[in-house]
Amino acid sequence: MSNTAVTRITHSCHLIEIGGRTFLTDPWFSTRPGYYQGEPIAVGVADLPRLDGVLITHEHYDHCDLQAFAAYRDQSVPLFVAETVVESARKHGFTDVTALAPWQEVEAGGVTITATPARHGVYEVTFVLRSGPEAVYFAGDTMLIPELAEIPQRLGHISLALLPTNGLHIRPANNMQVVMNAQEAAELTAILKPELAIPHHYAFTKGFLGDRLITSSDKNPHRYQDAARDLAPATSVRITEPGTRVEL
Amino acid sequence: MNTALYTIGLAGIGPVEVSVADHGSGQPFLLLHGGAGPQSVTGFAEKFAASHDVRVLVPTHPGFGGAPRPEALTSVGDLAALYNALLDQLDLRDVTVIGNSIGGWVTAEIALLKSPRVSGIVLIDAVGIEVPGHPVADFFSLTIDQVFQRSFHNPEPFRIDPATLPPAAQAIAAGNRAAIGVYAGTTMTDPALVGRLGTLEIPTLVLWGDSDGIVDVDYGRAYAAAIPMARFQLLAETGHSPQLETPDLVIHAIWDSADTDFAAFAR
Repeated sequence: MSNTAVTRITHSCHLIEIGGRTFLTDPWFSTRPGYYQGEPIAVGVADLPRLDGVLITHEHYDHCDLQAFAAYRDQSVPLFVAETVVESARKHGFTDVTALAPWQEVEAGGVTITATPARHGVYEVTFVLRSGPEAVYFAGDTMLIPELAEIPQRLGHISLALLPTNGLHIRPANNMQVVMNAQEAAELTAILKPELAIPHHYAFTKGFLGDRLITSSDKNPHRYQDAARDLAPATSVRITEPGTRVEL
Repeated sequence: MNTALYTIGLAGIGPVEVSVADHGSGQPFLLLHGGAGPQSVTGFAEKFAASHDVRVLVPTHPGFGGAPRPEALTSVGDLAALYNALLDQLDLRDVTVIGNSIGGWVTAEIALLKSPRVSGIVLIDAVGIEVPGHPVADFFSLTIDQVFQRSFHNPEPFRIDPATLPPAAQAIAAGNRAAIGVYAGTTMTDPALVGRLGTLEIPTLVLWGDSDGIVDVDYGRAYAAAIPMARFQLLAETGHSPQLETPDLVIHAIWDSADTDFAAFAR
């Protein structure tokens, strides 16, 4: 069986290979005014490999670009999603859509998928994928919340963590923070104790004016790497360019 | 600064020639003039490009400044389509479109085309919407003296006597006046625009001169209120053409807009 591996396509969109299966996270393949990846989209929808499942944490466009992903060649691909995504997924033609609430689990091709808690500007779930001794945690763009400390207690050892790090704030919402920042991601790394952690959700930009008027965020993933070196020295942090496949 | 002539093919209209002045290099801005013509934004473009790493593109709307206007190019929406196609032709990304007066109306229409190339808009004393009780001043019924009086907080430095202009300049001014009528009509509004603005998701900054006598401050507030999450900002001792009268305030408002007073969003 092939090794567990991750290829970051862009932003929070990854290909996760585990247990001989391939999963896509939080599809984002297009741009809109005020929504830019800030980095390349390494793989287009037409060039995606055969997927055994798709995980979608919440309905925000930069995590749930169903309009673009609807061009994927097999609309019967299993989608495992936050319940707020179900209706939209079906409207876009996907026929196998399963909502997962925190701590609910399903099996897909021998891989156990467990939804885990999250907190964001809207309802969100995160996911753990497990096959045998290896497990990948995909944190979407959640805040750091106490419930995440239950992940290793309930689901066992995490081998690989994919964590957001930009600490996104929404200026018009009284500057509310909606995504964990580098320090908080490092704290979560110390809790999860994975062998490998890869940051994501940091290059995103709303453009010249949007970054001034609407959002503020930390676009430097090295801050997470530095913080994790202090708080979780046993974890290797690897900053990956889109398209780079990283094996556990 | 250099100026280039572009030929843009527009469906239903045909090829349109547009002259574009190009100032500076860096973060791209498209700066759209109003009825006062391209010279009303040229100084601002030079100042902005000299003070920051920005590229400021200033097209002359066909029909203004003595430039030819294809007969079929007749609306603000046509101008928006023209500049949207220009951005495609230039392959520009993360463009902020800035427009004053009628140029602000064109800017709003560009935003409504929802090109991913346009990441933000700045409306400076824009016309285009209908606001009950707050009509756009009837430019065509005003004397030139009244236009200056209504356009500036302090009109004296800007006042000119059109009769003293050379014939060529008088012809250009007459052409500008005719072009305003063609594109914007006499009311300078589209009754449907305010409703359409509600569909925008684009970062928007609405700047308004506190002494604007062409479109008043409440009109400006209504413009900002029509666009979700738009930020409204008054410019002190400024009339209808802030880029002429208080250009430093405009540059500061755009460049330093991250210094957000969150109350600005709670109108």
